[in-house]
Amino acid sequence: MNVRKAFGAPLTALAIVVAGGAVAMWLSGVNPLDGFAALVAGSLGGTGELSETLVQTGALLFPALAVALAFRGGLFNIGAEGQLLVGGLAAGAIGATYGGLPVFGILAMLCASALAGGMWGALAGVLRAKFEASEIITTLMLNSIAFYVASYFVGGPLHSPLASGAETAPLPANLWLPLLVPGTRLSIALLLALALAAALQFLLARTVFGFDLRAAGDAPEPARRNGVDLPRITIVALALSGAIAGLGGGTLVTGALHRFNTALSPGYGYTAIAVALVADLNPLWICAAAFGFGMLESGGLAMQAQAQVPKDVIHAIEGVIVLVLAARRFVATRVEQRV
Amino acid sequence: MTIAGVIGAFVVLLAIKTTPIAFAALGGTLGERSGVINIGLEGMMTAGAFAAVVASGATGVPWLGAVAGVVAGAAFGALLGVLATRVRVDQIVAGTGINLFALGSAAFLLVLVYGQPGASKTVPSLGNGSWLLVALAFAVALALHVFLVATPAGLRLRACGENPSAVAAAGIDPLRIRLLAVTAGGALAGLGGAYLSIGELNLYSDGMIAGRGFIALAAVIFGRWTPLGAMGAALFFGFFEALQFVLQGSSIPSEAMQMLPYVAAIVALVAFRGRARAPAADGIPYERNIEEF
Repeated sequence: MNVRKAFGAPLTALAIVVAGGAVAMWLSGVNPLDGFAALVAGSLGGTGELSETLVQTGALLFPALAVALAFRGGLFNIGAEGQLLVGGLAAGAIGATYGGLPVFGILAMLCASALAGGMWGALAGVLRAKFEASEIITTLMLNSIAFYVASYFVGGPLHSPLASGAETAPLPANLWLPLLVPGTRLSIALLLALALAAALQFLLARTVFGFDLRAAGDAPEPARRNGVDLPRITIVALALSGAIAGLGGGTLVTGALHRFNTALSPGYGYTAIAVALVADLNPLWICAAAFGFGMLESGGLAMQAQAQVPKDVIHAIEGVIVLVLAARRFVATRVEQRV
Repeated sequence: MTIAGVIGAFVVLLAIKTTPIAFAALGGTLGERSGVINIGLEGMMTAGAFAAVVASGATGVPWLGAVAGVVAGAAFGALLGVLATRVRVDQIVAGTGINLFALGSAAFLLVLVYGQPGASKTVPSLGNGSWLLVALAFAVALALHVFLVATPAGLRLRACGENPSAVAAAGIDPLRIRLLAVTAGGALAGLGGAYLSIGELNLYSDGMIAGRGFIALAAVIFGRWTPLGAMGAALFFGFFEALQFVLQGSSIPSEAMQMLPYVAAIVALVAFRGRARAPAADGIPYERNIEEF
């Protein structure tokens, strides 16, 4: 395997983080060495820090896998953010009203979140397959619609008198996902995400559906002529993609936040695009990339607190990574064509 | 208040809510007609709003703030333009990257410049001068319509969005036209952002664009990719934004009206199918063929 191809994207991303971070720290009047020390200490420095990084890793893994699945099929799902949010809303709605056995409560929350996200994705799929409406636009619009639907519910029907802001009632502890490390927010959601990555890798590499999906993404016209049912692939792929992102929202509700509000995601659905691109849309590499971005998310807070570098710079750096990697993909293919 | 007074107040509110969406939607229309989808409108409005506040605060001259907003928007427009033409990156991914970058760096620079997160200090605003920008939005819509329909340059620009190879065959570089169109479109979006920060208000706060770039994207579609249509769509969406203020505290949930532009865009995509459509080469990178040279 070509070394440049395998490690080019992660190394490029790392270079951007180091260069962009150093510039931002220097602008903030902070010695970059101190800034990066705070970032690393804040993300890996102890059990609590590492656990929080792994929470963020899991939170990014679901939408990143969702994005990768759709992108591999040539479908631009920029709607992971909205799918995650409706998933979280569905889980929160069940959690706030459930009264039966806890085990089934957790399962019901996870299933509902996948179902809600899946329907949100399938809607874009149907609009694309049956009505020729670009999934780029519809998923983007559905993000905003999801936000307002969720904000209506937490402000109205699901609003808890116990909560200070617009959010659902806190979940009882028996509806929490089991914790991996007591005293932290790290739950088995991470294991679920890793299992999902393995399953997605298998789906893409070893199944007929995965082959058809990749064919539809790489060469839709030949694929169609060889009997691939493109409308079906479109709907199923976007529904699956939405279900994965929605499940991510559900695990955040039962695993980390233990309630639902519209601040559930600080933009995981958009950061996920950067994660997926860094990993070249490969589910197993995405696990590693999500850990890297998870470090940024959790370490960014520490960097802000200890080194006074505003953590928003993390998102600016992610933007540069997306821009450079989008450019790099083209450059790489052009170099290969010349050889 | 008399009925005339109520209507007058509503029209003022309508104009204020329509203008920023209109500028960005006109910018988006210009880009898409040349063949480049601009997902980054939200980021360009953010850049324009932030630059306008910084420049107005630094110089004390609000109109220089408006100019800075235009320049900042144009810079991001040019960035998307270069990426979409010379480097041929995927336009959707590049637009998403621009949004992430613009929103993140504005929040970062806000702390750097004003020493506090969340919002800037207040700066000199355009005051009544902002009505010139409202008028300008309508003038730009009309001018763009004439430009696209009745001038040779407008025809070339439209041809780039439909069939760039034909433009190249006529000896004109379609990539240059696309770059210019997206840069001008970014400038308009930046002006829309500047109108929000120093026209309607007198400060920058995080998240103040609040999805208007995406509403503008919806307006491009709802306006069937024409400048006058985009202006009409901006008025339509502005109407519902203004209505939210009027109906505050009523039984109609404000979220229902806030999500309306996005629902309308999806409905429009489905309903206009077959009658109006996106430019044929919208979003498709143009590659020169060897035979053309």
